[in-house]
Amino acid sequence: MSTIAANSELSFFQVAKGFRSWVTTLDHKRIALLYFYAICSFFLVGVILGFLMRLELIAPGKTIMEPHMYNQVFTLHGVIMIFLFIIPVIPAIFGNFFLPIMLGTDDVAFPKVNLLSWYLYMFGGLLALLTLVVGKGPADTGWTFYAPYSVRTGTNVTIAVLAAFILGFSSILTGLNFIVTIHRLRYPGMTFFKMPLFIWALYATSWIQLLATPIVGITLLMIVAERAFGIGLFDPAIGGDPILYQHLFWIYSHPAVYIMVLPAMGIISEIIPTFSQRTIFGYRAIAYSSLAIAFVGYFVWGHHMFTSGMSGAARVVFSILTFLVAIPSAIKVFNWVATMYKGSIDLQPPMLYVLAFIFQFLIGGLTGLINGALAADVHIHATYFVVGHFHYVMFGGTAFAFFGGIHYWFPKIWGKMYNVRWANIAFVLMFIGFNVLYFPMLILGIMGMPRRYYDYLPQFQPLNVVATVGSWILILGLIIMIVNLINAYRKGSPAGRNPWGGVTLEWQTKSPPPLQNFDKAPELSEHGPYDFK
Amino acid sequence: METTFVLPNSGHKRDDVSSKMGMWLFLFTEVLLFGGLFLVYMIYRFMYHADFMTASHELNVLIGTINTIVLLTSSMTVAMSITAMQKGDVRLSRRLILLTIVAALIFLVNKYFEWSAKFEHGLFPGMEHYNTLPNGERLFFFLYFFMTGLHALHVIVGGAFLLFVVRAINKNKVRQDRYMLLENAGLYWHLVDLIWIYLFPLFYLIH
Amino acid sequence: MQTHDNHTGQQHDVHIVSYKEHASTFIGLVLLTIMTVTVSVFGAEIYTLSVLTALTIASTKAVVVALYFMHLKYDPKIYRFMMGVVLLLFVIFAVLTLVDYLARN
Repeated sequence: MSTIAANSELSFFQVAKGFRSWVTTLDHKRIALLYFYAICSFFLVGVILGFLMRLELIAPGKTIMEPHMYNQVFTLHGVIMIFLFIIPVIPAIFGNFFLPIMLGTDDVAFPKVNLLSWYLYMFGGLLALLTLVVGKGPADTGWTFYAPYSVRTGTNVTIAVLAAFILGFSSILTGLNFIVTIHRLRYPGMTFFKMPLFIWALYATSWIQLLATPIVGITLLMIVAERAFGIGLFDPAIGGDPILYQHLFWIYSHPAVYIMVLPAMGIISEIIPTFSQRTIFGYRAIAYSSLAIAFVGYFVWGHHMFTSGMSGAARVVFSILTFLVAIPSAIKVFNWVATMYKGSIDLQPPMLYVLAFIFQFLIGGLTGLINGALAADVHIHATYFVVGHFHYVMFGGTAFAFFGGIHYWFPKIWGKMYNVRWANIAFVLMFIGFNVLYFPMLILGIMGMPRRYYDYLPQFQPLNVVATVGSWILILGLIIMIVNLINAYRKGSPAGRNPWGGVTLEWQTKSPPPLQNFDKAPELSEHGPYDFK
Repeated sequence: METTFVLPNSGHKRDDVSSKMGMWLFLFTEVLLFGGLFLVYMIYRFMYHADFMTASHELNVLIGTINTIVLLTSSMTVAMSITAMQKGDVRLSRRLILLTIVAALIFLVNKYFEWSAKFEHGLFPGMEHYNTLPNGERLFFFLYFFMTGLHALHVIVGGAFLLFVVRAINKNKVRQDRYMLLENAGLYWHLVDLIWIYLFPLFYLIH
Repeated sequence: MQTHDNHTGQQHDVHIVSYKEHASTFIGLVLLTIMTVTVSVFGAEIYTLSVLTALTIASTKAVVVALYFMHLKYDPKIYRFMMGVVLLLFVIFAVLTLVDYLARN
């Protein structure tokens, strides 16, 4: 006797049609796709801004824009990429789509709040773009909005900062939703330690989203208040301390980078077992390390401030804590590699992105340690070394994991398969382009080229040219990837329930899933979520 | 033969425990929101200890104490309203909630008088007298207005939430077997009280 | 008196706090408030109200509100644990930030 769910013949796409059915949906899968289209659009805007920056930097002096505009371009590039892309991308898209399915339930705990989160995201995003067209143009402070300049500049800091505040709310509500969902809606028999590691990653991330974001929220409100009332909260001329702003800003923004990277690591932990056809090595270690990274990550923020004027004792404390937080990350990398050892490796596109992630995250992580060493940081703070470091972890790490996730879950979401050959070509171009773009930055930084500078000394030009060319190769790969996926969306061949041989719950259901996620009762293995028989 | 199955847990079914957990998680964000301000207060009090003491004398300890008692009373009344609802005494519950709202209004009226007095003395950021003050005192008054202002905003929101609960009671949507909304409103209200419990001594009682 | 628990589909018996207990809690809180004000206003001759004393009394009041009015004492442990973690987090933020200022010349 088989059991089926009512109304499971139709996919979640087919149950209702039209624009209104999308923007008033309570279905986590549709909300995930609403985020997907919005986030990818903002990402492309961010890419264009980056492309323009690299064009400007291909030669010293003015190339295509005035210095003041350059400041605005890199500020908006950072604001969009960080608040509109990297922070929400994996939780809001794959978290929303797959968290309930992987847990064996039909939706998140608060579906209406989920839709509200999306509306807040859109509102914040549009506000950020508004700064482009009103008043004196986008903020020119850098995405970090350091006082006192952020208080004094005439550009649209207030709007940009309010946009970030609203986006923060979106993030908080998503985190809240996920935490309650994980605690309350797991399928009977799925204990915490039988959840997939992607869920563990989202759980740890959600706690950071919940607890760290309010602090930047209030800090940004203080900037608005300072601009409005002219009091010297952070203005040294009237007794304020600009370093206090930096403390408050980084108390959120450092944990924010773990919001960025933990879900990405969760995706890696999903893809590797499937394409090694082996159970994950060290499940508990990976689960605990996610929590450890989240916890210790709250206490390292001062490493962004080593040269700010902070006291020596504080610098030492923060440097030690920074080294500590590298340990749980390293544990994950070792466990992933151990999983692959003697596995039956299948180099499909998702796996390629995973391998690139491991390579690039390694470079990003190690350069992070270098930044965290006090003596070294004095020389490389605010140089291109830092720019290279964070692009390696955020782009080479999180974004590549995102692309890997797209190639992994595309057949499940849309029920169609993409052209693997073109996916591979796109990957190769992106991998080469990415490293040609960012590796030279590590060298440039050590050579002494400062970041956020519109102009530079002639000896820095050759590597800048290399980097700019790398950006073109990268963008070409990005375009091919996007075109390939759009083609698959239109006329890809049907994918079936489980094209990759995965064993987590999403692979048991139809592709695309029905509205209530499952067409028959999910079957859990007593050996845990990665039971490859 | 095929039978239909239903997923045992659903995000679309009412779950009081989820609702309560969600409210607590939201309260944690409020704790950290105000926490950031308390951090700023802590640092500037450390840097400008004498100025903070001087400025604090401008505040009216009597009104502050009355407001503290008013909020504590309101916490009691809202807690009692939940007891009443649990016992099935809907009328008493509604009255206690309305009492809580009245307490909120008293608090806000007192605040209004306090702030008016400050404006008359030109103590609001940007005003004449304010501008002549030393740095530490200016920071004190800015933090005073910002933190008590943000708190007052939460008093208003909390009061509105409670009013919403009263309406829900009138529509029989909150009852003896379904009162999570009231509990959550109560939790939010207690948070408002908690914040004031710290604001009061830190601003009014520095000597 | 029961609540609806979606997870197990069962009705649970709920712990009802009596009016008297709420009133007693209230009285306790008022007494603590009076204590705080008295010490601060009249205590210059007796002892100075340092930040520590003020914060201790305030924290006592806060714990009382949380445990009794907010029902944490009677709720599943996980809520107390979560609240504890949040407070610990805030305290560490405060301490680490203060370290910077204490160590500056």
